[in-house]
Amino acid sequence: MNSTDIIRAIQENIARVIKGKPQVIEMSLVALLARGHLLLEDVPGVGKTTLAHSLARSLDCSFKRIQFTSDLLPSDIVGVSIFNRQKQAFEFMPGPIFANIVLADEINRTTPKTQSSLLEAMSEAQISFDNKTYPLNQPFMVIATQNPAEYHGTFPLPESQLDRFLMRLRIGYPSPEEEKKVLDRPQLLHPAEELQPLLTAHDVLLLQEQVDHVLMEESITDYLLAIVQSTRQSDLLSLGVSTRGALALSRAAKALSLVRGRTYCLPDDIKELAPIVLSHRIMVARAQGLRQRSFEQAERIIQDLVDTIPVPV
Amino acid sequence: MPFDQALRFASIWLASTSFIGLTLGAGLPEWLAALTGAALIVALLRNGEGKFVERLGTFTPISATGWNLLVIVGFLGFWVDMLWVSGELLPAGLHFLMILMIIKLFNLKLRRDYLHLYAISLVAILASGSLTTDLWYLPIFLLYLLAGVWTLLLFQLTKHPEENRMPTMSATMRAQSRASVSRVTPQLFWLANGLALATFGLTLAIFFTIPRVSAGFYQKGLGENVRTSGFSETVNLGEIGPIKRDPTVVMRVELSDGSRYEAGRLYLRGVGFDQYDGKAWTNRLSYRRVVSEDATGTFVLRGSRSPAPPRLGETIRQNILLEPLDTPVLFAAPLIERVSGKFPSVQVDLTGSVYLPFPSSSRIEYSVLSRSNPVLPTDLSSEPSLYPESFTRHFLQIPAQSERIAGLAKEITHAQRSTYDKANAIQSFLTHNFRYSLDAPLAELDNPLEEFLFSRKTGYCEHYATAMVIMLRTIGIPARLVTGFLATEWNEYGNYYLVRQQDAHAWVEVHLPHSGWITMDPTPPSIEGGGSSSPAWHALGRMMDTIRLQWSRFFVQYSAADQLAVMRELKAESTSARNKALDSMSALFGPFIAMFSGIMEYAYKGTIQSLAEVLGPALIGLGVLLWLGIKRPWVKGMVSKKTTRDEQVIVQLYEKMVKHLAVKGISKPITTGPLEFVRIAQAKWSDANSAVASITELYCRARFGQIPPTREQLSLAEDHLRYLVALDKP
Repeated sequence: MNSTDIIRAIQENIARVIKGKPQVIEMSLVALLARGHLLLEDVPGVGKTTLAHSLARSLDCSFKRIQFTSDLLPSDIVGVSIFNRQKQAFEFMPGPIFANIVLADEINRTTPKTQSSLLEAMSEAQISFDNKTYPLNQPFMVIATQNPAEYHGTFPLPESQLDRFLMRLRIGYPSPEEEKKVLDRPQLLHPAEELQPLLTAHDVLLLQEQVDHVLMEESITDYLLAIVQSTRQSDLLSLGVSTRGALALSRAAKALSLVRGRTYCLPDDIKELAPIVLSHRIMVARAQGLRQRSFEQAERIIQDLVDTIPVPV
Repeated sequence: MPFDQALRFASIWLASTSFIGLTLGAGLPEWLAALTGAALIVALLRNGEGKFVERLGTFTPISATGWNLLVIVGFLGFWVDMLWVSGELLPAGLHFLMILMIIKLFNLKLRRDYLHLYAISLVAILASGSLTTDLWYLPIFLLYLLAGVWTLLLFQLTKHPEENRMPTMSATMRAQSRASVSRVTPQLFWLANGLALATFGLTLAIFFTIPRVSAGFYQKGLGENVRTSGFSETVNLGEIGPIKRDPTVVMRVELSDGSRYEAGRLYLRGVGFDQYDGKAWTNRLSYRRVVSEDATGTFVLRGSRSPAPPRLGETIRQNILLEPLDTPVLFAAPLIERVSGKFPSVQVDLTGSVYLPFPSSSRIEYSVLSRSNPVLPTDLSSEPSLYPESFTRHFLQIPAQSERIAGLAKEITHAQRSTYDKANAIQSFLTHNFRYSLDAPLAELDNPLEEFLFSRKTGYCEHYATAMVIMLRTIGIPARLVTGFLATEWNEYGNYYLVRQQDAHAWVEVHLPHSGWITMDPTPPSIEGGGSSSPAWHALGRMMDTIRLQWSRFFVQYSAADQLAVMRELKAESTSARNKALDSMSALFGPFIAMFSGIMEYAYKGTIQSLAEVLGPALIGLGVLLWLGIKRPWVKGMVSKKTTRDEQVIVQLYEKMVKHLAVKGISKPITTGPLEFVRIAQAKWSDANSAVASITELYCRARFGQIPPTREQLSLAEDHLRYLVALDKP
């Protein structure tokens, strides 16, 4: 089986659980292969947790879920030192972050201190505790969710921290037909528990390495940079896309090419990914309306900007 | 041949050339050379095809740990070798290097291993370069260069397939990537060889222009100096005879005008002798005076310093490349006026022989200006005159009991009156009445000269010359014996005289009252030797000798001074080329040119001139390299010209398709990606979908994936386009 077939098999595997959302599944795989983290922003009950869970199940990777609450402390994520009486010494007990796939549920419900401890781990891929450094498992992917509908008692993540996520996705409600399929399913077992792992953690690492060898032709790089540049010059935005954002878009495009069975990027990849990879990295100018509902607004602005950039021929 | 196989082959070839270089440079003991050679052959076989070879290929008697252990053992052996066996760093290092090479040859698995092998080969070829200055290094180096270009090229070309390969991802993927591995095409073959040639050209340019330090630190001694005889202070009669069959090259003589000496035979004078005791010649006038240095490296013996009577003889300028001899004598055509060469000092004795302070242990090159000494008209009739005692003591000395010889001399010369005629009479008497032979064991006899003159009448140059000197002396004409070489072998390829040991010769110098010392030779031309091998073989030999000479002169002995000479010549030529260009352009751009050339002249006149001479070409070379580096797409285009052309074809096809669709009412906005456009086209015109999709896919692969379409795919795409044009849009 080659890489394309494997990736397709995983998509089909997850699609048995998450009905009618092939694009969301595809993008979550892109995030995984691009060594990125995923931010799912949607109302409760559309399958955010199930998506994360079934992805982890299909990969034969360890999976931990952290429910973020306002009283969650950094040590609840990272781990604690406990005094071991027999050894007469402190012993580090790793927290839930020491897993391959970590679901950070409702990340905006906890305090900035706890948020930042998670975000640090995301960018460094390691934890420092008691003057010791503990490397996290590889592959390491954080899937964070947040609920855009409720704002009471939340601590919204600042843009600088949102930058750490490769992409922000919405799942959305399934179509009535798909929803019917979900309801028709026997409820004896959580659907994700039925999934069989298809890849080992090592295979994931190899696939991630393969992403590095996807060819991005020069004119496509120029196209990407033109899009990034346009966000910095747009009057509609008060903050454009950073270089990290450009890098993320490039990596995501390469990963998407691999997922779609190509060894090279196309302008279409960039065009398709730009809204979901870039929209959470920008700040919409105040004149454009209230901060609420900024998600859709930012996506629309990015889409409009992309539609003004000529595609390389 | 597929790339990966070609790469393995080229790598082994690279290793082989460096190994041959080391072996020829005597850097390896026999057992190690045999071992490495065997390893190379096995590696080569494993690279081949066939059933036996495949089994050989998979057969690995030693595990990875075993190989590592071997490396450690080899390293320990290196220390043992350095401290006790060889006792030196260089040989021990070379032995260790070869062991590493053997181990690597059996472990060529990862790309890293190939790089290691290249590094080992590079060190080996460099080492062999420092071990030798012989000519064979040139072809080996050329081969190495060729192999190097090939390996680097193939290494680069095989890079992508291998890195995309995923070891754990199962066999189909590997098979896929192997299927896509390209093969060595004829274009690539010629390109690689052309590149190698260009590299060699660049190497030569750098060699001749960029200053360097002289190399060859570890060069083994050039061997023993060539043994000569007849050039010490005492020479026994018969000493020259045994060497007359020795073809060892002693020197090479170029004449300044590049052409052959008119007489065909060039006498190269070595040492003069004045005393003969009946068995041996001795030079009593061997007190050596240090010659004054005129300019750096130029020593004037006579001429400008002593206002001697104006000489009418022709001047002979010679350029002599002298092999290391066991004598300090400098040979040249008589009579020497000035010598120039890289000598600390030059000495001359009273017979006019020129010496270095000590014999040179390496090949030396020097040039000499000589002026031949013709017989003045007044001397044609002058009779023997009286000489001062200091002169007669040396040049009229005769051994005891030579009355019989004196009688013979008188008998021959009684009809002649002038000194010159008498000398000529004796010379022609000896030339015509005696037989030349090298088999003349006269040396053992009590009185070899009388034996030669009266009973055997057979001998060689020494006997002839000795007889003539003594006969002249008995009738009161001062004469002396001279040894040296008689150059007769002309190399028409290199335009020089090749002088061998067998050309050693002895002849006579006769003193005439007005003319001074003139050269006479009673020996008849030799009829021995030579004839056995064919002339073609001789010509080949001379050609080889020419190449050897050029190698020695332009590579081994190439110095900073030569570099300057080359640069000066280049500059002269570039100046003339520039002038020509300026002339033709001045009509058009007169004033600009004047300004430009003014700047150029200014730049050339300043003190930076010599710097510019050296730096200019170096900068040009650097520029070319940078340009090549920047223009990598161009290089890539060269590598796969076919790719570029096919890529262009499919891009043009795609553009045609887009235009055609626009005509049909489906225009492509500039902000639409190719796949997006396929969807638009499908929505608007579903019949055309398959054609549009297939052309778009090929276009994307070629344009953005740099995967060139195959011929079939191209013709299929053309068919699709024709179909599209023919199709009516509803």
